[in-house]
Amino acid sequence: MTEYLLHISIISGLYIILALSLNLIIGYCGQVSLGHAAFYGLGAYTSALTAIHWQLPFVLSLPLAAVLAALFGLGLGIPTLRLKDDYLAIVTLGFGVIVDLILLNLEITGGPDGLTRIPPPSLLGLDFRSKVWYSLLVAAAVLLIVGLLYRLVHSRHGRALKAIRDHEMTARVMGINTAAYKIAIFTLAAGLAGLAGSLYAHYITFINPESFGLHTSILILTMVVLGGMGSLLGSVVGAAVLTILPEMFRRFADYQDVAYGAMLIALLIWRPQGLLGVGSISQKFSLGRGKAKKEG
Amino acid sequence: MAKALLTLQSVHSYYGSLHVLKGVSLHVRAGEIVALLGANGAGKTTTLKTISGLLKPRKGRVEFQGENISRLSAEAIVKKGIAHVPEGRRVFSSLTVAANLELGAFARRDYQAIKNDLQEIQERFPILRERARQLAGTLSGGEQQILAIARALMARPKLLLLDEPSMGLAPRLVKQIFAIIRRLQEAGTTILLIEQNARAALKVADRGYVMETGSISLDGSAAELMDHNEVKRAYLGKGYQEVWEE
Amino acid sequence: MMEGGLARRWETGAAAPLARSMLLQQILNGLTAGSVYALIALGYTMIYGILGLINFAQGELYMAGAFATVLLLSFYQVNFFVAFLFGMGVAAVLGVLLERIAFRPLRGSHPLVPLISAIGASIFLQSLALLLFGPADRSFPVQFDFAALEIAGVSISSLQVAIFAAALLLMALLMLFVKYTKFGKAIMATALDQDTARLMGINVDRMISLTFLIGSALSGAAGIMMAIYYNTTYPRMGLLPGLKAFSAAVLGGVGNIPGAIVGGLILGVAENLGAGYLSSGYKDAVAFAILIVVLLVRPKGLLGGRSH
Repeated sequence: MTEYLLHISIISGLYIILALSLNLIIGYCGQVSLGHAAFYGLGAYTSALTAIHWQLPFVLSLPLAAVLAALFGLGLGIPTLRLKDDYLAIVTLGFGVIVDLILLNLEITGGPDGLTRIPPPSLLGLDFRSKVWYSLLVAAAVLLIVGLLYRLVHSRHGRALKAIRDHEMTARVMGINTAAYKIAIFTLAAGLAGLAGSLYAHYITFINPESFGLHTSILILTMVVLGGMGSLLGSVVGAAVLTILPEMFRRFADYQDVAYGAMLIALLIWRPQGLLGVGSISQKFSLGRGKAKKEG
Repeated sequence: MAKALLTLQSVHSYYGSLHVLKGVSLHVRAGEIVALLGANGAGKTTTLKTISGLLKPRKGRVEFQGENISRLSAEAIVKKGIAHVPEGRRVFSSLTVAANLELGAFARRDYQAIKNDLQEIQERFPILRERARQLAGTLSGGEQQILAIARALMARPKLLLLDEPSMGLAPRLVKQIFAIIRRLQEAGTTILLIEQNARAALKVADRGYVMETGSISLDGSAAELMDHNEVKRAYLGKGYQEVWEE
Repeated sequence: MMEGGLARRWETGAAAPLARSMLLQQILNGLTAGSVYALIALGYTMIYGILGLINFAQGELYMAGAFATVLLLSFYQVNFFVAFLFGMGVAAVLGVLLERIAFRPLRGSHPLVPLISAIGASIFLQSLALLLFGPADRSFPVQFDFAALEIAGVSISSLQVAIFAAALLLMALLMLFVKYTKFGKAIMATALDQDTARLMGINVDRMISLTFLIGSALSGAAGIMMAIYYNTTYPRMGLLPGLKAFSAAVLGGVGNIPGAIVGGLILGVAENLGAGYLSSGYKDAVAFAILIVVLLVRPKGLLGGRSH
């Protein structure tokens, strides 16, 4: 039983990182990325491949995974600066699908069967095959990341981000380099997702493209929307809820996706700010409608 | 006094949280041309939009032919007999001139009469017949204005709302447009007209209202307003004398 | 959690042909696939044109049309054309409901909102179908005898011709509708300028519903055709075609009706050429590669489209 609970907490931790990173893009840049799981996958595969083929120790393969994912985030972020909402969403989606296809088709990534026998990390002589240690590892990562993001959000940069989110044109006029910030956010978010991917790969010890596809991207999105865009705590809660609840209701696995879909729609209609949403993205989401109603 | 065709009673309108119309009251009698004047941002266009239903008043009443139309949708108001030619003409640029005209009659069901009206309008404005198959976006400014007015006429309106029909047009065309407006009145259409070109508007109108920051500041017959110093000054600022006498 | 839509389901051309006839073969295959993409793309483009939103659930309307027809024919002996129309009808109604439930309440919000809602609708419909009908492939309940034809040394089945012709017919009907009927023009007007359309007495809500009705019917028709062509119908069948058709719409210019047709045909041909000459594993990537290139180089698409 403890094993099971530890497993759930590890998975929740990973999704918390993913949701937080996606929230950076959505809640603080006001853009949707529908290919976020691709960064997750890129991180996982990078970490796994370097560990398997180059015998890279975990301390190196993890950061490498994060950096590689971040580079892809940078690569995706730059050209998409010019695109607006819908189109950006589709491009990120396309990116996700292309990465998925590549992972499926390349020999080195093992195709649809993926990679197996990924070595668990060996740090400080501790045995990370044990769920206890791994959950502590993940918990440490989550805490570090939450701390980092919290500091970021409350810093000068955080204020700049809020300005960009709330009124981009004004921010630009005030001299804030919006392009640089957006790219930085994309890069950071991708890197964090890659980091989560590495943690995942070394935990489960086998990976295949299925876990990193569109479905996962949308799951992460749902977590962010549920928790509330623009709220760090919200993402934590959203990720936790959407990892734990499905486990609790395992019997209803078939109905899960139906519920996700319906939930997304219902949330947007009745509570677009999610559970804990703050800030103008979510306000924009609900205020905008009120405005339209008044004008008739 | 004959009961007015259109009456606004203390109308307040908002754009979101912006309070634009602050208690506007006016009336238009059947057969009249009434000019609505005022500087940019005074609320003239908002007034027209409130009448035609694009905006709903938050307080006050809009009455047309004795009926309260404040809560009606724009589509329903068209059916009641009000046609609005919006600011900037707003023809459907990727549709043909003919299609634009046909759309003007969208709310009508009397198909034979619509066909006749189409013929008649094209006779009245031969340029439209000439360009019937052209895309409306390829027409010149003046032609588009004529199209926009003709399109509104296709609805056989009892009241025509015109928003800045002379905007951006050369003086010769402006004269043409105002001649058309006069002819419309002769044919029995009631007109509420917004114009920057106050002088031209007052020359053709029977009465006028001047709006300032969301409410009516002056009203009177066209002749009265033409002479009124306040009008001249509110419009044109200090150097008004030369401009006004043009 | 499956990604079933990425399974390889495409046929390749005839065996060991001359280079030229293989090219021709791929082009013909491409036109068939392309005409189906075009039908779905029309749905996207019309909806984008009038509402400015990407209907992520368009692929599910495609799937719904297929399922409706397949199920009807599985249980009742009806005339094929009746079943076809039934399928289109079901998709059409579903589309109208979709707009009412997932989009109308969200009018006037930040553009991200209906986008996410559409995603939710897509997931909902896919999973619902999975629940109701199970993941298994269904073959088409009616078997047709489609003779193979020989044209210029290339063999195509008369099924391909039939599909292409049917698609063209539907497209032609749409163009006629939009150009010559009162409501067709009203839809175009609403797409161009909503407020002014209202000043014509046009009920914008109704035009939007009508657009969804037509766009969904076309997607449903596409679904039925593909259900016959590949002889498979399954809940996630709309995922990939939906995304690819969106690429096609963007390629042609979103919001532009002839553009959707052109984009669809080009995409179909490009895909098949790519699969034939490069690698069939990446066939599905062609659509996305085109999408990304178009969005970065010329977002307005080939025929201009409209900006919202």
